[in-house]
Amino acid sequence: MAANGKPRSIVNTETFPCVRCGLTVTATAPDGSRRNHCPSCLHSQHVLDRVEGGPSECRSRMIPISIAVLRTGDWMIIHRCTRCGELTSNPICGDDNQLILMRMAVRPLAQPPFPLEAFGDL
Amino acid sequence: MPRKNPARERPQRRKTTHHHGEPADAFRCVGCRLDVPMIAPGTAHRNHCPHCLTSLHVDHRIPGDRRAGCRGRMAALSVTVRPDGEWLIIHHCQSCGELSANRIAGDDNALALLRIAMRPLSDSRLPVNALLAL
Ligand SMILES: [Zn+2]
Ligand SMILES: [Zn+2]
Ligand SMILES: [Zn+2]
Ligand SMILES: [Zn+2]
Repeated sequence: MAANGKPRSIVNTETFPCVRCGLTVTATAPDGSRRNHCPSCLHSQHVLDRVEGGPSECRSRMIPISIAVLRTGDWMIIHRCTRCGELTSNPICGDDNQLILMRMAVRPLAQPPFPLEAFGDL
Repeated sequence: MPRKNPARERPQRRKTTHHHGEPADAFRCVGCRLDVPMIAPGTAHRNHCPHCLTSLHVDHRIPGDRRAGCRGRMAALSVTVRPDGEWLIIHHCQSCGELSANRIAGDDNALALLRIAMRPLSDSRLPVNALLAL
């Protein structure tokens, strides 16, 4: 891992197995950024302690639950840990599964808590 | 409903004005300054403003949490759906970055909720190919 957290120009061949689908994932995305989730199923693992800033003891599976759009227009995936409930947000990568991303984006509108007809065309 | 954790029932600044010697059951929203009654339809307690959906970071879920006294403004970032179909708002603290998921209330501003839910779909960089494949 780069000590300063910046992407390295040299090819990084480090991999990790996805905790959900078992895919062997390269730790570095094509754009050079560091991955924290599987590009195929978008699941992650609770390996960072947000409070302490170091490694987490939890290491449980984290489920993608929501898409957030920042003011910059960047998409973030919100993950929730299946064991401790911790929420994290991480940028999407260029090769993330777009079908799953879109399913997550439309899911709330498919199950609205109020009739959408009342709003007409938005 | 019994009060399990009184701290969590005062998500925003409690008004100091008193009526008939009783503490006011309302708080002033840190986002839009609306005076909001504590009682919310459909939930045991309110944790965000029904008008602008803003919350206040006062959760004491983790004992000894050094951010428990944060009191930062928590903006509504996105929505998610639980397996039972209920919507949750993902709140993001503007001071410390903490995220939290909170149930919506029966009188939450439907248009504000819908705007947040629509954000990914109104993005100009929408992956249209993926949408067409649905
Ligand atoms: Zn996977
Ligand atoms: Zn965890
Ligand atoms: Zn408000
Ligand atoms: Zn905070």
